Amino acid sequence: MRNPRRTEKIAFFFLFLATLLIVIPVGLIVVIIIQKGLPAINWQFLSDMPRQGMRSGGIFPAIVGTIYLVLGAIIFALPIGLLAAIYLSEYSKDNFLTRIIKLAIVNLAGVPSVVYGLFGLALFVVFFKFGASILSGALTLGIMILPIIITASREALESVPDSFREVSLSLGASKWQTIRHIVLPNAIPGILTGTILGLGRAAGETAPILFTVAAFYLPRLPKSIFDQVMALPYHLYVISTQVPNVDEKIRYGTALVLLALVLFMNLIAIIIRYQFRKRKKW
Amino acid sequence: MNTKIKVNNLDLWYGTFQALKNVNAAFNEKEITAIIGPSGCGKSTLLRTMNRMNDLIEGVRIEGKILVDYVNILDSKADLINLRKKVGMVFQRPNPFPLSIYENIAFGLRIHDSIKRDELDEAVKQALTQVALWDELKDKLNKSALNLSLEQRQRLCIARLVAVKPDVLLMDEPCSSLDPQATARIEELMRELKNRYTIIIVTHNMQQAARVSDDTGFMLLGELIEFAKTGDIFTKPKDKRTEDYITGRYG
Repeated sequence: MRNPRRTEKIAFFFLFLATLLIVIPVGLIVVIIIQKGLPAINWQFLSDMPRQGMRSGGIFPAIVGTIYLVLGAIIFALPIGLLAAIYLSEYSKDNFLTRIIKLAIVNLAGVPSVVYGLFGLALFVVFFKFGASILSGALTLGIMILPIIITASREALESVPDSFREVSLSLGASKWQTIRHIVLPNAIPGILTGTILGLGRAAGETAPILFTVAAFYLPRLPKSIFDQVMALPYHLYVISTQVPNVDEKIRYGTALVLLALVLFMNLIAIIIRYQFRKRKKW
Repeated sequence: MNTKIKVNNLDLWYGTFQALKNVNAAFNEKEITAIIGPSGCGKSTLLRTMNRMNDLIEGVRIEGKILVDYVNILDSKADLINLRKKVGMVFQRPNPFPLSIYENIAFGLRIHDSIKRDELDEAVKQALTQVALWDELKDKLNKSALNLSLEQRQRLCIARLVAVKPDVLLMDEPCSSLDPQATARIEELMRELKNRYTIIIVTHNMQQAARVSDDTGFMLLGELIEFAKTGDIFTKPKDKRTEDYITGRYG
């Protein structure tokens, strides 16, 4: 005889198990990195230049480099991505060209990050002669996060009810006034969420900056956007594989700083989204 | 009585489906005209054609003329912004913006003119007074409009509309989400508003049409079957189909 209640219990058990399996690695990563990295964290580590071939001292230039790169990427990607999203969700008609564009964006999101790195090398470093520089790296990262920003912004714009657009137009507002005053303000939280997720992605990627900006060892701060910088993910790669006899503490400390930076950005995204859901009443 | 809006030989297709068939009608100034008919008869479509809201739908094709103050608004060169300022719309679901009460009304004023703060305050007050909300809400102007009752929201939507000083109010089943008491009060408001505005109301509620309107049009399957004084439509309809509808044989 089949016992539906027992079947249900078994099903629930496996569903729970699957969920647990997702949580365990995330939890372990965080715990191990904190456990091994925390002893390295102190003010000197965060604010000092690396010394003795990165075997001691701090990671300050890598933190600064990562922040510069992320800001540069967002300055480039947010306006372009937002404008593209507005065009796609508000203006474009559903035709062949639009479908090609949408398909391209979806595919852009699936391109491996090392390919972006090669692309950045070919286009910005070599063709535009920006050299290996903050500018090249930020533009490469910007292109990488464009699809994230476009997709999130489009979803945010499209989740604004059509009735708002209808009323606004029926009051004699132009299409642009409607977008500017009614649609955009209601979409901003979603757009910000997508932007911050893009930031987190840009902060954590190694491959796109590998050929375009990242310096192996550069214990000084950049003077202009045409300088190379160190960056956290690449620095972590370097001290983990390229430099012998680096204290484990320093490696995990660097990983912890990177993780904290990315988690912090995601946390901001979550808070904004939460505020948005609380306010949203239509 | 002046004719405010005249509809001449109007045909409308959604793709291949013909939603309006050779509609002819004349809507009098400062009167209330009701358009009744069963669901899907094209009454909302007709209403939405009068301020070109159907333009938002893809695949719509329109032939014929609609004259507002003797100007054909279906002309491809028609100025939609001024048309919609002159011919405004109240929707079925009360749909204030997720903004404060004040900002809801100020929106329409701001998009049309650069207006000073004190003029804006005065205009908001006037608009709310016209819909009998001022006394209730004057201390809550900065509160969100989404916390209002359904009836208050619908009044606010009407206030938002009259603030831009239209001539014509198109009302698309404005009471369908309201209870009978609220409906009665909105109808009372419509009677007051008709001193200033030409009102065209689409309703599936025949009693409502009989109570508030001066003229009534009956539509069926995209055709305007009969258009006459409301009293005549309800007491001595000329067309058999009108009679069947108002006596409740279908719809």
